[in-house]
Parts: sequence; C-alpha cells; structure tokens
Amino acid sequence: MSGAVADQAVPLVTAAEEKIAIASQLQLTWWRLRRHRLAVASGVLVILFYLVAVFADFLAITSPHATNSARSYIPPQTIHWFDEDGSFKPHVYALKGRRDMRTFKLVYAPDPSDKRYLAWFVEGYGYELFGLIATKRHLLGIDRGVPEDALFLLGTDQLGRDVWSRLMLATRTSLTIGLVGVALSLFLGVLLGGISGLYGGAIDTVIQRIIEVLRSIPTIPLWMGLAAALPNDWSVIQVYMAITVIISLIGWTELARVVRGRFLALREEDFVTAAELAGASRLRIIFRHMVPSFMSHIIAAISLALPAMIISETTLSFLGLGLRPPAISWGVLLQDAQDIQALALAPWLLVVAVPVIVVILAFNFLGDGLRDAADPYG
Amino acid sequence: MIAYIVRRLILALLTIWAISVVTFVIIQLPPGDFVDAYIVQLSASGSVVRFEEAQALRQLYGLDQPVWVQYGKWIIRVVQGDFGASMEWNRPVTEVIGDRLWMTIVISFAAIIITWGIALPIGIYSAVRQYSFADYIFTFVGFVGIAVPNFLLALIIMYFGFKLFDLNIGGLFSSDYQLAPWSWGKVWDLMKHLPLPAVILALAGTAQLIRIMRANLLDELRRPYVTTARARGLVEWRVVMKYPVRAALNPFASTIGYLLPFVVSGSIVISLVLSLPTVGPLLLRALLAQDMFLAGTIVLLLGILTVIGTFISDLILMWIDPRIRAGMHE
Amino acid sequence: MNLGTVTLGRSMLARLLLGTALVFGIASAPETLAQSSLSQSGLVGQPEGITIITDPAQWPKTFNEAPQLAELVKQGKLPPVKDRLPEDLMVIKPVREIGKYGGTWRRGFTGPGDDENGNRLNASDRPLLVDHTGAKPNPSLAKAWKMSDDGKTFTLFLRKGLKWSDGAPMTANDFVFWFEDIYSNKDILPQGIPDMTPQGKPGRIVKVDDYTVNFVFDVPFYLFEDLMAGDTLIGGGQAVRQSNKRSHGAYAPAHYLKQFLPKYAGGVEAANAAAKAEGFDTWLTRFHAKKDWTLNPALPVLGPWRTVQPINNAIWVMERNPFYWVVDPAGNQLPYLDRVTMTLAENLEVLNLRAMAGEYDLQERHIDIGKLPVILENQTRGKYKVHLDLALNGTDAIYHFNQSFEADPEIAKWLRNADFRRALSLAVDRKQLNETFWLGVATPGSTAPGEALPYFPGPGWREKWSTFDQKKANEMLDAIGLAKKDAQGFRVRTDNGQRLRLQVQAVQAFLPWPKISEMVADQWAKVGIQADVRDTERNLAFTRTQNNEHHIMVWNNGGTELLYLFPRHAIPVDPTEAFMGPEHAKWFNSGGTQGKKPDDPNIMKIFELYQSAAGQKSDDRVKTAQEIWKILIDQQYAIGTVGQSPALMGVRLVSERLGNVPSRNCIAQHCRTPGGAHPETWYYKN
Repeated sequence: MSGAVADQAVPLVTAAEEKIAIASQLQLTWWRLRRHRLAVASGVLVILFYLVAVFADFLAITSPHATNSARSYIPPQTIHWFDEDGSFKPHVYALKGRRDMRTFKLVYAPDPSDKRYLAWFVEGYGYELFGLIATKRHLLGIDRGVPEDALFLLGTDQLGRDVWSRLMLATRTSLTIGLVGVALSLFLGVLLGGISGLYGGAIDTVIQRIIEVLRSIPTIPLWMGLAAALPNDWSVIQVYMAITVIISLIGWTELARVVRGRFLALREEDFVTAAELAGASRLRIIFRHMVPSFMSHIIAAISLALPAMIISETTLSFLGLGLRPPAISWGVLLQDAQDIQALALAPWLLVVAVPVIVVILAFNFLGDGLRDAADPYG
Repeated sequence: MIAYIVRRLILALLTIWAISVVTFVIIQLPPGDFVDAYIVQLSASGSVVRFEEAQALRQLYGLDQPVWVQYGKWIIRVVQGDFGASMEWNRPVTEVIGDRLWMTIVISFAAIIITWGIALPIGIYSAVRQYSFADYIFTFVGFVGIAVPNFLLALIIMYFGFKLFDLNIGGLFSSDYQLAPWSWGKVWDLMKHLPLPAVILALAGTAQLIRIMRANLLDELRRPYVTTARARGLVEWRVVMKYPVRAALNPFASTIGYLLPFVVSGSIVISLVLSLPTVGPLLLRALLAQDMFLAGTIVLLLGILTVIGTFISDLILMWIDPRIRAGMHE
Repeated sequence: MNLGTVTLGRSMLARLLLGTALVFGIASAPETLAQSSLSQSGLVGQPEGITIITDPAQWPKTFNEAPQLAELVKQGKLPPVKDRLPEDLMVIKPVREIGKYGGTWRRGFTGPGDDENGNRLNASDRPLLVDHTGAKPNPSLAKAWKMSDDGKTFTLFLRKGLKWSDGAPMTANDFVFWFEDIYSNKDILPQGIPDMTPQGKPGRIVKVDDYTVNFVFDVPFYLFEDLMAGDTLIGGGQAVRQSNKRSHGAYAPAHYLKQFLPKYAGGVEAANAAAKAEGFDTWLTRFHAKKDWTLNPALPVLGPWRTVQPINNAIWVMERNPFYWVVDPAGNQLPYLDRVTMTLAENLEVLNLRAMAGEYDLQERHIDIGKLPVILENQTRGKYKVHLDLALNGTDAIYHFNQSFEADPEIAKWLRNADFRRALSLAVDRKQLNETFWLGVATPGSTAPGEALPYFPGPGWREKWSTFDQKKANEMLDAIGLAKKDAQGFRVRTDNGQRLRLQVQAVQAFLPWPKISEMVADQWAKVGIQADVRDTERNLAFTRTQNNEHHIMVWNNGGTELLYLFPRHAIPVDPTEAFMGPEHAKWFNSGGTQGKKPDDPNIMKIFELYQSAAGQKSDDRVKTAQEIWKILIDQQYAIGTVGQSPALMGVRLVSERLGNVPSRNCIAQHCRTPGGAHPETWYYKN
C-alpha cells in the first residue's frame, strides 16, 4: 500500500519494504503470525501436547491397565516438598485404606512414618519408545517399592488405576485420531464446494442435493451398522479409525457449503476473470487463485474442526458408540467421570476435562492467529 | 425467478425421496431387528423374553420380509399420510412425535434467541475493538463455551444444582404440574425450568457464532471500501453497521437453513442427560431399538426440514449479496 | 376349605429353613465374612413376610372399603363391598399392623418397555405366588392346587365369587377361553410352549366345574407344579403374560376379549373392519392392544391396581381395583394405597438422582448399587431408608465359554478344554471384584444357586475351582501345553506361535460388565493369558452370540437358581440367549434338526438329565438339578465370580412414611420383586 508518487527523487522502496514486496505468501504469513503473541503461545502449547503424545509412556508412572481394588478411588496425593530437616526432597506418604461399612465409602489415611521419595528416570513398566525401542525408563517414580502402590499424582479411578498415567496415554490417542478425518473432510469440502460454487448450474445443483441427502443421514445407526460390519478381530482403535474415515466422507458438507457461498461471491472478481483469460485450468483457478483469498475461512474451519473431532469423540463415547474401554482416550476417561457417584465421591476424575479444554482453546487461538496472519487485506 | 423456484421445488421432492430411501436402509443397517432389540433391552434390564414370545412378535410385525418390501410398504403409507405406529410406544407415530414437538420447538427457539442475541453483539464488538481487553475476555469465554463438552456440563450442573440449591432434577416441570392440564401456573412453571437447559444448549453455539462473526467482520472491515467510507467522514457505527455487518452475515446465510432441523431435533445428548421431553432422545431411543416407523418418520421429517432450510438459505443468500443475484441471471 | 397337599415334603421344608438360618443368622462358612461386615452396616434386614390366614373360622365377618369406593357405593355406582369380595376370601395378615387407606405411591420408570415395573406390583394375579423366602409357593388367585399322583393332571381350585375389576365373575371359563381361543389360535401364537408340552405331547385345559380347572397331560409332568409357581409362560399371570403383545398366562377375561376375536365378531373381515375403524391395522394388532393392561384402561384385571393413564405417556397412572379379592384380618379390602404414579426418566442417572431427592416412595428398580454411598448420604434429606436385599443367584458376572465356537480351531480347542477353563477360574481374584464393584457386600464363588435353596449342590461347591490360586492356575496352563510364552510373558498359540488372544464380549447393561472384565483381564494377564475386552453395543453383542461368533460372553445368571424355570444362563437349551453354546441350543431346541450336536459327553449328560427332570417327582427333580450343577461347576463351562448380591433390584429406598414394608425382600425372578412382598398391604403412616 505504498502509493509512492513516481516522479519523486527518493528511493521508491526501502530495503525492508523490498523484502516484504518479494516475500512469498508463506513468509508473510509467518511474520505476521509472530506478532500475535497469544497465537504463538498457543502454537507452542499445541506442540507441547503433541510431544506428550509421542512420549506418553515415558511420562506415565504406572501401567495404565494395572488394577487393584485396594487402591480404588484414591484422591490426588499431596506432595510434601521438603523433608523435616528442610532439604528439598519431595515425597509422599504411603496410604492405608479401608471401607467404612456405615457409609460404604473408601477411607484412606496417609501414614507419615512411611515416606516414599520421588525419583527421576526410574524403572517402571515396560513399553516401546516410538514403537521401536523397548525400555522401562519413566520420567518419574519413587525410590523404593512399586510406583503402582504409592504414587498417585491425580488419584485413581474405580479400578485402582493411576489417573495421571492414563491421562498421558489418552492424550496420545485423542490427539492423533482426529487428524485423518479432518484432513479428508477438508480436502473434500474445499474441492467439492469449490467446484459447486465456481461452475454453478447443473453441477452445483447435483452437489448441493447430494449434500442435503448426506446431511440428513442419521449418523447413529450408521455408526452402529458400520461397527457391526467391520471385522471382529480389529482392535477398538482400528474400528474407530475406520468409522471416522467413513464419517468424514459425510462430514465435509459443512465446509463445502461455506466454500460454495464464498465462491459464488468471488467468481465475479477481476482476478478470476484475468486468470481465466490467461488460460488457467479450472482446478488451478480454484486452488492457486481463489482459495488463498479466503484462506482465512479455511484456517478458521480447520482450527474448529480438530477440536470438533475431539468433542465428537467424547460425545460418542458418552452415547456408548465411540471409543470404548480398554482403549484409553479422553472420551473414555470422561466416561468414568460421567456419573453421579464419580461427581460425588471422586471429583478428581473430572481433571480430564482440563487438557480437553486447554487443547481446544489452544487450537482456537492458534487458528485465530493463523487466520489473521493469512488475511490478504491485513 | 419463478422458474428457479419451480425447479428447486421439483428437485426438493427428488431429494426428499432419496433421503427416505437412504434413511430407511441405514436404520435397518445395524444387525438384528426390532424384536431382537426388544429382547436385548428387556434382558439388559433384568427381564425375560421367552423364545416363543419372540417368534410370535416376529410374525406379528412381518419383520421377516426383505428390506425393499418393507420400504415399499412404508413409503406408500407415508405418501398417504399414514405414518404407522411406533412399535415401542404402541401409539401412532404422529401422536408420539406431536407430544414432544412443541416442547422441542420452545426449547430450541429459546436457545437460538439466547445464542444469537448474545453472540452477534459480542462478535461485532470484538471485531471492532480487536485486541482490546474486552475482546480477549469475550474470546476466552467464547472458547470455553466451545471447549467444555456440554453433556458433562449438563450433568455437573444437574448434580450440584440438586446438592446445593435443591433444583428440580431434569425434566421441564415440577412434579405437581406435570400431570396437571395447561394453566398459567403451568406456563410459569415451564418458564422457571426453561433457562437451564436453554443456556446449556446455547453455550456451544454462542461461542461458535461469536468467533465466526468476529472473523467475518474483521475480514470485511479490512476492505478498501471501509477505509473509503471512513475517509468520507461517515460516523463509525454507520460505517460498521451499514454494509460490513451485512456482508459478514453472508456465511451465516449458508448455515441458517440448518437451524430449522435443529429447532425440531434439539440437542440429543443434552436432552438425554437432562431428561428433557424433546424429540432428540425420542429419536435416539427409536434408532437404538430399531423402531422403524418412528425413527424413519423423524429422520424423514428432519430431512424435509433440511431441504426447506437449504432452500431458504439460498434465497437469503441471494437477497443479501447482490453479487450472487447478478451471477444468477447468467 | 381344605388346601390340598403342599408338595414340598416336610423334610424338604426343614432343610430349607435350616439353610435359611445358616445364611441369614449364624455365621459358619468362610464366605459369611461378607455377611458379617454387611451386618455391621445395618442395611440388611431379617427376612419377614405376610401370613395367609387359611382357616375360615378366623376370617373377618364384616368388611370395610376405601372412602372413595364407599362414596361410589352410596351413589349406586358400585355394589357394596361384601358383594364385591369372593366367598373364598384371601385374608392376608400384613407384616406389622393393620393399615390405613389413602395416598399415592410415586415411582420412576424408563418408558413403555418398562412394563415389568408395573406388572410386578400386580403379581398377586398369578394362580400361585411364592412366599417371602422364595422357596414355598402360596395360593394366590387360586385357593388351592393339587398334582395327581401319576403326574398327569394338575388341578387348580379357584375362588368362588371372585370377580374381575369390572364386576364380572371370574371362573374356569376364563381358563378354557385362553386355551381354546388364544393359545390354540395359530394366528396369535404360532407355536406351543414347553410348559404345556411335556416330551413333545401337547397338554390341554379342561373345565371340571365353574371353579375347578384341570391341566391334563399324556405323560407324567410333575415339573408342571413348579412351572405354575414360577415366572413362566404358563404361571406368570395376566399382568405380565398378556402385556406388551404377549399372549400366555393360562387365563384371560373371556367376557371382554371375545368381541375382538374373529370367531365371535363375525369373521376375519368383520373383525378387520372393526379394527380399522378404530385405527388399528388388523384385528390382531387391535387384540394385542386391548388385552394389554398397561395400555387399555378398560381391560378387566385381577391385581390390586389398574391402569388409568397408559404406560405410553410421560406418566403412567394406576388406581385401586374396586373388586380386589384380598382383605386384611380386620376386614379392610386391600390395597391401602389409592394410586401408583410412575414418572418417566430418560436416563438412569436422572432416575437415581430423583430417588436421592426423595421423589419416589419406594424404588428398587433401576437403582445402581455403585451409587450406594451417595444414596446413603442423602437419606435424611430424601426422607427415606435404604435396605439391602440379597439375591439368590450364584453370580452377577458369569463368564460363559462358547462351547460351540468354530471360526478359529485353536481358540475352539482351548475353549473346550476343561483344565483351561478351570485354570482361568482359579486366576480370578474374586475378593478384588467384590470390593471394587459390589462394595464388598456380595458372595464370591462359583455359579451355584444360593445356599438357602434346595438346588444348592452341597458343601464345597461354592468354592470348587472358584478360589484364588495363581500358582495352581499357572501350573495347569503349563501342563496342558501352553507353557511357551512370548517376550512380554503372554502364552502363545500352539499352531502358529503367536500370542493367544481371547475375546471377552461385555455389554454395558445393569451392571458394569466391561469394567469388571477389564479387571478380570488384568488378573488373567498375570497368568499369561491375554484377554481383549470388547465393550460391545448391546444389540450387536446379542447378534454376535446368536451367530456363534463370540469366545467368551459376560452376563449374570439370575433366574438359574430355579434351574428348570429359567435355565438359559446355565445350560444351552434356549436359543434366544445361549451364550455357552448357541449351536448346541439350536440342536437341543429343534430336536436335533438344526444346530450342532455337542461332542462333549458332559453336555450330553446335562441334556439327558434336564429332559428327564420333567417327569420326576419333586425330591428326584431336586437331586437331578444338583447333579447338573455339579457337572457345570466341575467343568467350569462358565466361570462364576461374585453373586447373591443386591446389584439387581436389591438396593431399596423406602420412604419413612411407608408402613408394613418388610425389612428384607426376596430378590429373584420368581419372587416378582417387589410383588412378592405384597405391596397391597403397604400404607402411609402419615
């Protein structure tokens, strides 16, 4: 937006402006993004979450499947940071539990004489790092005894399983599972919405009608039917992935309609006519010229789609249709918190909602930032 | 224009027919039939269905016939206005739905009014005062609305409402009024119970709306014509309201049609948790029980509303954005 | 009037009572550790029940009725109470005191499929009804019964002067009507029932006189007496057996239902036309709707309450039956409570929460034992008292090994290996399961029915193969050929060296079976067996089992405590739910024409014993049942975990205002909980 007058004697552009003028769109986007501090912070947070997903087992303390009724519904333990002599030696007290037969509640009394000191890089349950390297090292544990019996940072669930460890593994499952579906929906949405909007006429009509039919399909029996049709010996996660892919084939309709609306508005623009006159193919016009002008919408859509995937996973679990135990995901963990006895007796199970909320917020802020940065009129 | 509308109507009928076929097939997709689901449901609650009883039921319902025969029979009756009887409720489908329809519409409208009434002004404000403190606050609250799974919220509010405030648990009426015929007292009772479900329903939608409104308006406000308007000395709020807001509403027009089926179906999950007498849980039950006629009719109804909704959307789109109307005439 | 012989021999009765005393009072067996800590809680009451006064000399001579009925009599709309009651009265002495008239009983229900919720309140409309111990049948609709010595004729003696709820007399004609016009009508019931068809030979109902009915068979059928007393197709009574499109129950109101049948309505055409005029498809759908007490307020019934607002509404309302044939010793016509209202709850969390808020007056149905601590917390606030009633079935989470599984020969081989099953059973830590899911109140052990019942196989059979012995489990698994393990310590298959994986199919129903199975899977992992728990959606799970696709299926074995009345969760005889061998059940049920014959001689022996039982007298029948249980437990076709618990309808919330409620209910199918506790004798103290 220089508006410099041609016959002035000063240089037409400064070095900085020249840099901007020749920078690619991607670089421009990145520079703009850097200025939006909240978005950058969110981006960092998202990366951190995905790191947790990669190192889930390393960060876990106890085996997520190890059950023991003697550890059922233990509240989160207090960590005592300093020893009596004032030195920094974080520790927890071992717990003794019994059931009060009057109230039927489990009562746990910490035993101050039995201290378990926290230790780093201890040996715990076996797993495969990156799915390749067999190891037993975990970030955190206790110095003696089995971590299964002593360290419960976020308490335990009804079966006596450590909530912290399960949370780590749930993060991995929930963050990875939505990616494929979102990618598919995105591609189909932009492509078909674009074609619909650009060509108009009969093609538009047919696609729009297909969208209507697809939108009316009740997903619940579809889900149930698909779950029945898939092979019996597929793991729970494989079944879920397959169903997610199929559902995405239906889920692109939302984005398609928005894209179509924008295309209808944009196709009268001059730059589109120019491209057509220059002989560009339709596909090139769509993806190279028109799409970037509402990139912001697409980005906003992705940044809402991933969290939407996460929410739909939790909702389906609630209805008993999505990921089921023994798979571990945020939806599955939320299921544990989803009844009255959990709310009344073990409210710490609700801690699962925290990473869900944080991740969704982070994706949204990041998406906001990306949208702002990618806006060609900014 | 007339030609366009007539064409759309014919297409609408075709679409609805396609919806009916697909729906019927998908409802039958899960394994087993209504009798199987019925047996399982009873077993799972500790009751018993004897083998001979099951056989008698199958014979009664004619569930042994092929799918396309069942579909044919159903669609012929539907076209004549006979929607059949619900196998679970033992009443005509129209009665079962009708009972709940009004409640659903009332709740959904309340939710929509709350949603739009809050979201649009906040969205506009956020865009106009971008990066201000208030913008951050509203954005944050908005996101929290999206992020928290609302069925969880519903359960938490229900339980703590009971524990701390003695609130009525679920449903839309207190026990005294439930059986009573309609009266002003009953209406007031309904009003008292409405806010909670409506607010929870509205939460997620509000957040989404705020974000999209803000995003769209920001896009518009950066356009050259806005700068021009300002340069010409137009008052700020007129600058914002006169055209940018209208243009920002454009993407909404694409989706406003979908409010129509939502009004009728409500939110299945929240209604389930709060035990609201709406169409949503009814549909879920019917689908799980494979109550063909009830499920089929509800989905068909929602399909028809979707088609109508899309049609309305397109009309609104044309009216709002003159560029599209111009393109229409080619 | 003489009662006729009660067929339980006196020695049997003594054994029953002794057994009862052992379980409920004196602690002797190790498992009563659960009971003694349970008794600390003060929540389990003493078994107590009503008394039936059979001596006419002690019957009241004058009668009273509820005020609103007295009002109707005054207006001439009802005959006086003395004329409404039968000559052969049923006089019930309530558990505690004579009650007062009045009040509405509020309950929660879950929809039109939940008809059992109301059926059971009307359980007294059965010819016979068991007493509060669940062991002894009492007269109910019938005043007496008799099984002939040759076992071929069973006689019911009806009450003279008994009337339907519309005032018409109830006689043997109603039984004959059911048999000739409903049971034998192939349009309504395409096939006969085993209850009436011993050894494949159909029996018939014959009227002797107005108040005497004979069930006549060609072969000895001593079992029929048990069938009449149990929750069966023949003995269930009108409320349960003719609601929800069912058509059994041995009798039906002839004077009312005749008009809906083609035979009496002038032919099929006329009947169909009449049906269409009322909005029904055919005469048959109309007939089903009309004979359903939950849907049709005009239907004559015999129970204490009749429907006034049908079940397919948001509120199901029942009101007192003015012709109910039971009085208390003071001559008050029962029931005391005027009305029953059931409100719809769309999901169980809401229902339980409403119960905690005190919105129900007595609720045992749909209450979740997992919520017990919270329910106890809210007792004062909700103004109710909690009772724990223990069931009679051996296990609430039974792991059936599919004996007819074929798809994977290696898996099939192990499922059919008795030592494999026994080892897995020894690897289950039942104490942990009991603690976690039953809050420590249930009894760990095998699938055997409760010790209080005569069918209990004997000492030692609760523990057989059902203790926790990891060492022995490992040894047994090593010995049968599964000694080889992979790098993670899991045993491998013998055919391809890959890890042996068992699928455990679990459904989320009235017990958290998927969660329970997760714990069991963790315990099996400790002996090197990998079990994949499949938390399957209900319908899908049942379809899979019917298609013989499952390895292991989890359910409960409620009802099997009376083996002959409800065997399907113990032995594979009913194809509807045959988790332990769907193909075998098909084979048995079809007489060998479908399905697959079992290779296992033990299963064939069970079939043989089961079939012979119908013709055996009571003592022999009991011995046969014990034989069957011994085979089942020794072979461990199904692993029993924890049972005799309050999980199903055993957590009872009772309003402080209600009186005459027994401190302990019988929890079993045939007890028709809560019907067996005679709700018609309950009343509001204030």
